Amino acid sequence: MLKYSIKRLLQSLVTLFIVVTAVFMLMRLLPVEGYFGDAYDKLTESQREAILQKMGLLDPWYVQIGNFYAGLLRGELGVSSIYRRDVPVLEVIAPRVPYSVRFGLAATAMSIFLGLAMGIHMTRHKGRLWDKTWTAYIVFVTSVPSAVYLLFVQLYGTSLFKVPLLFDKYRPSSWILPVVSIAVTGIAGYAMWMRRYMVDELNKDYIKLARAKGLSDSAIMTRHVMRNAYVPMAQYLPAAILATISGSIYIESLYSIPGMGGLLVDVIQRQDNPLVQALCLIYSSVGILGLYLGDLLMAAFDPRIQLVKSEGAR
Amino acid sequence: MGTNESLLSVRDLVVKFNLRGQVLTAIRGASLDLYEGQTLAIVGESGSGKSVFTKSFLGMLDQNGWVDSGSILFEGVELSRYKSQEEWRAVRGKKIAMVFQDPMTALNPLKTIGKQIEEVLELHHGLKGLHAAKAAAEMLGRVGISDPEARAKQYPHEFSGGMRQRVVIAIAMACKPRILICDEPTTALDVTIQAQILDLIRALQKDFGFTTIYITHDLGVVANVADRVAVMYAGQIVEQGLVEEIFYDPRHPYTWALLSSLPQLGVKHEPLYAIKGTPPNLFKPIKGDAFAPRNPKALKIDFEEEPPEFFVSPTHSARTWLLDPQAPKLEPPAAIRALRAAYERSEA
Repeated sequence: MLKYSIKRLLQSLVTLFIVVTAVFMLMRLLPVEGYFGDAYDKLTESQREAILQKMGLLDPWYVQIGNFYAGLLRGELGVSSIYRRDVPVLEVIAPRVPYSVRFGLAATAMSIFLGLAMGIHMTRHKGRLWDKTWTAYIVFVTSVPSAVYLLFVQLYGTSLFKVPLLFDKYRPSSWILPVVSIAVTGIAGYAMWMRRYMVDELNKDYIKLARAKGLSDSAIMTRHVMRNAYVPMAQYLPAAILATISGSIYIESLYSIPGMGGLLVDVIQRQDNPLVQALCLIYSSVGILGLYLGDLLMAAFDPRIQLVKSEGAR
Repeated sequence: MGTNESLLSVRDLVVKFNLRGQVLTAIRGASLDLYEGQTLAIVGESGSGKSVFTKSFLGMLDQNGWVDSGSILFEGVELSRYKSQEEWRAVRGKKIAMVFQDPMTALNPLKTIGKQIEEVLELHHGLKGLHAAKAAAEMLGRVGISDPEARAKQYPHEFSGGMRQRVVIAIAMACKPRILICDEPTTALDVTIQAQILDLIRALQKDFGFTTIYITHDLGVVANVADRVAVMYAGQIVEQGLVEEIFYDPRHPYTWALLSSLPQLGVKHEPLYAIKGTPPNLFKPIKGDAFAPRNPKALKIDFEEEPPEFFVSPTHSARTWLLDPQAPKLEPPAAIRALRAAYERSEA
């Protein structure tokens, strides 16, 4: 297990390196005019040159990337170049992290709880009215662009429940709609997979034996079907949780939540390279960590999975 | 054996299924008696209704199936009247247990062997914790698994196919049932393991004194283990009797055909015997003898009227017009005559 963990960790680092390098290179391919924003026309050629020089953008690409990784190894992510000039990147990001994490966690808890419950409910009513009702919900949520129904949630939710239209950190009720909005898609996903895995298990032979033992349907459901359906779910869970935390970019801007998602959109548009790089590093680490945790979690749940080859024959 | 009480008595059982709006009659009036301590083998080709028939004793028909008429009397209780799953659970696994065909998939891969046995003990005997674990390990030992305490903590994937079938048998035996139904218990196993499993079931039967029903299409298994044989065709028991009576004095043309298709009875360099045609469509009502269309020597009446049950001896009966006093005398096929001759020689 330890050997496997270390091996996977090294693989994850390679993946991370590739992702971060790709982002770095892509940012360098953007037109240089973008670095000046509205001030472009007011600057002379030499002033522009000086600014680019100061940002280190005139060096050859391999020097730039070398500097970036050298800084990274020293634990330095650099300073913001445009968004909040000369403020260390971490200082810009840090106050925003708690918002994203809190919203993400709240929404994740809600989607797992309601999603699994919905999936179980669908399985128990397979082929009947409830199954079809929830399926309709899942189809709606996955096929209609989220911008459409999320706007409805915001507009009608606000007037229906008398909660604020935008996020306000001094009013707890303003949390409700953003969390619900993030959870709406998550619930559909968890419900769909849970139902699918449970139905898979239900059709297996050992369920027949469990029934022949005399177990009641509800005991079969809880002790066998649900327990076994959690295994494939477990692999998918951490990645989904982390995706929720990082993937609420649209919701953050819809409700003006000062989180990381909104910041990323902002700094890409304004070509603040150090900030983009740092945020991408965070997001990809989180994503890769999710996959890694999923594998570990599945191995912990499923005795058949041995992450290292066992020595000798059984 | 004939003096024994009937433990399970099935009369004129009709089981139907609803398949996409069409009604299929899987069991068409089957009757059977199971005697205490005996071993009964139910033989027949795929789709003849062997499995469905026995599943109806446990209330384990698929959701679209039901007992339409007839009776299943077990220990003086009419099982066919059972409606709720609660009622069935008093019988299922406790008094009538079942062993399935494929041990590779019959166990939950994520639960230890011990837990899976404990589950039954807990359910039917209220055993908990250490008591249940101890009883489970003891049961594992009884089915021939060495070092049962340690093995009980392992998962199914750490067991071979034969070992898993032993575990499935241990689960079935855990509550000391009156009847053990073995649905093709050796079909999925290696030939060398098959004999071990059959021996095990026989030994357990001696120890625990239960009654066994084998469902099989392997006549070799039948000859090996059975006291009595019931031959099923198209949802009906066409012939039943003691194992010698069925093997050496069969009366139904279908039993003849079934025995003739044993490869061991074929003559070298001659094509193996195969029954022509296909089993009847069970969606439609069947007129006359269900086997008549596949029987080249069928009588005229076979196509018109369903044969009643004729008794050859108190233990042996068959549903064929050939046993009617008015029927022409028809010699069984050569393979069957050879079987009987060999038997008579060995008896003399």
